[in-house]
Amino acid sequence: MIRNRKPGLRVAVMIAVLALVAAACSPSDGTDTTEAAGDPTTTAGAAATTTEAPGTTVPAATTTEAPMAVCDGTIGSIIPITGPVAFIGEVQRNWSQYAVDVYNEEHGTAYEFVEGDNMFDVAQSSVLAAQIIDDGSIMALVGPAGSDQVDAAGAAFEQGDPTLTYISPSSTRVGITAKYAGLFRTVPTDDDQGPTSADFMIESGATKVFIIDDQSSYSTGLADIAAAALEAGGVEVTRESVAQDVTDFSALVGTIADDTDWVYLPWQVAANGQLLGNQLVEQGKEIPIFGSDGMDSGDFTIAGSVIAAFAPDISSVEESADLLEGFLAEYPETNTFGPPVFVAVTVIAEAYSRVCQSDGEITRAAVLAEVQATDQSSSILGQPIAFSADGDLIGGTFFFFEIQEDGTKVQLP
Amino acid sequence: MEFFLRQTINGLTLGSVYALLAIGYSMVYGILKLLNFAHGEVYMFGAFAGYGMLVMLGGPASPIVPVWLLIPLMFLAAIVVSIVVGVTMERFAYRPLRNSPRIAPLISAIGVSFFLQATALFLFSAGFRSYDAPDLIDISTGIAIGPVDVWLVRVLVIVVASTLMVLLTLWVNKSRTGKAVRAVSFDREAAEMMGIDVDRVVVVTFLIGSALAGVGGVMAGLVFGRIFSFMGFTAGLKAFTAAVVGGIGSIPGAMLGGLLIGMAESYTTAYISSTFQNLIVFSLLIIVLLVKPTGLLGKPELVKV
Repeated sequence: MIRNRKPGLRVAVMIAVLALVAAACSPSDGTDTTEAAGDPTTTAGAAATTTEAPGTTVPAATTTEAPMAVCDGTIGSIIPITGPVAFIGEVQRNWSQYAVDVYNEEHGTAYEFVEGDNMFDVAQSSVLAAQIIDDGSIMALVGPAGSDQVDAAGAAFEQGDPTLTYISPSSTRVGITAKYAGLFRTVPTDDDQGPTSADFMIESGATKVFIIDDQSSYSTGLADIAAAALEAGGVEVTRESVAQDVTDFSALVGTIADDTDWVYLPWQVAANGQLLGNQLVEQGKEIPIFGSDGMDSGDFTIAGSVIAAFAPDISSVEESADLLEGFLAEYPETNTFGPPVFVAVTVIAEAYSRVCQSDGEITRAAVLAEVQATDQSSSILGQPIAFSADGDLIGGTFFFFEIQEDGTKVQLP
Repeated sequence: MEFFLRQTINGLTLGSVYALLAIGYSMVYGILKLLNFAHGEVYMFGAFAGYGMLVMLGGPASPIVPVWLLIPLMFLAAIVVSIVVGVTMERFAYRPLRNSPRIAPLISAIGVSFFLQATALFLFSAGFRSYDAPDLIDISTGIAIGPVDVWLVRVLVIVVASTLMVLLTLWVNKSRTGKAVRAVSFDREAAEMMGIDVDRVVVVTFLIGSALAGVGGVMAGLVFGRIFSFMGFTAGLKAFTAAVVGGIGSIPGAMLGGLLIGMAESYTTAYISSTFQNLIVFSLLIIVLLVKPTGLLGKPELVKV
């Protein structure tokens, strides 16, 4: 019998293999713990500024006067299903599919949703855009999610087919819709986020704010707007800048004065914000973090922090309760990135239906015209949906949530 | 004083991780004259292996073993996985090219780096995983160094890295295999003629370098929290810079270079601006190479004419 001379080595290798398997099978961070998931203890506060249309009584977001036409078509997407912001993309994908399913069931249509994963990558966004241009079955799509990705895809669409409609459910960069004819969005812009965030901090009594951008165009733009608004309000602002791939913020945290009132992080990678928050605690600095909508993720759970979000806690919107309940019956979780997607897909589906009902053949140019003419009296967001000439959502605004000790989020009045 | 001390500790922590990685670069270069650009990915796999062990043993919030046992087990898992990755890489990507022109293994190293990144992306996706070390060891648990309270995890990183570097130095200088490594590094052909098994020495070199990278990966996860599939690229670049600054091929040089780069990053952020961190670090590289092309502790290569 041949003796096994290295049993210890085999055991060690087996353990290591098991460890790798465990790492592969573990979910990546970003499990959202927002109280929007139907918890009755959620504070159902009002929005930061009033957005509800007067006399809104329509019970369900999708029951507008859409024609009961039997139509079919494909709704495409460019969303970050994998990648550093997969927590956004997964929810956006699920809400997109849910929106199509709900609409089909209510209207007897046969629309199909097609996933397109850009991994939050600019180059991949261009590639997907080119594929979609060539796919004659897709008349409109939802996405991309980030403003840089919108720029990349938008450039491709403008060259390839400027009549293609794409609705971003999360791009907030100011002025981007004016660049691209087919671009719309179902979220407000940083023109609103920056000043309202600054107002929040000023009203909290802040005299000193430390702003750190992550060198992305989203972040620097938002930081500039917020800084200007804060300085106009008499707040002392310190600016710093770090790359998204920085692994250690402890040196930077060391430079933040103890009497700073807020650390403002207009960042896209919430996990970085969590690390910075941990290092603030590590160095004994009890300074709350104010995060932009990019930080709205289960990756960021520093208690006492405030997050801006471009959608309200829809569990507080009476008209949306059934929809939310239906979504959570099918899908494991949601976050504030979900409802704007539902709105975007519903807008597209209704445009398809109107075109189908009137002309019978759905074309890209016709869909574009119908989307521009969208005029929904209510929506899952608790506000009407209509677009400006550039494609911006009329009446959108930002909402603020405070992170609790248990990691859940509560909407602030 | 407190501010300076805290930034110094920050720099030492970061520098310790870079030093562990830089040693691997230097050792491999010393033996094979090869820049192993895939070394950062070995570090990344080590980080994921440590994370996997953490998850297997209950996770940071409720581990099923005591923390004093959990962390060494995480290191062990990382070491084993990193060794497997590193040695396999040597066997199949570098050994067949050992007698090829120098550009061939260099290109192969770049290819291996991308291959490992893509493999990690496939296995682990691109999302972040977090060690959540504050749940393992409370962030207020630490020791006081002068006016500064230092988190125990940072102390652990600095102490473990320093210990490993000392042990490695002793091993290289005192052990039989260490002597063989030095001999092969000095003159491979002569060492072979003296009866040294060069293949075995190369494997041992990759084994040690990879093990240190794996340990570095777990340390990075513990201190910096999140790990992800592309974390090896930037860390590898910084470690390579450290190895070159210290003197590529020199183990003490790699240690010194790693600590210097870590301190440079920390002090730049503290006293200038975080925006200029990379600018200062890579400027340091250029200045050192201009003033002393072999690096701070590197020795000029003697070429017989």
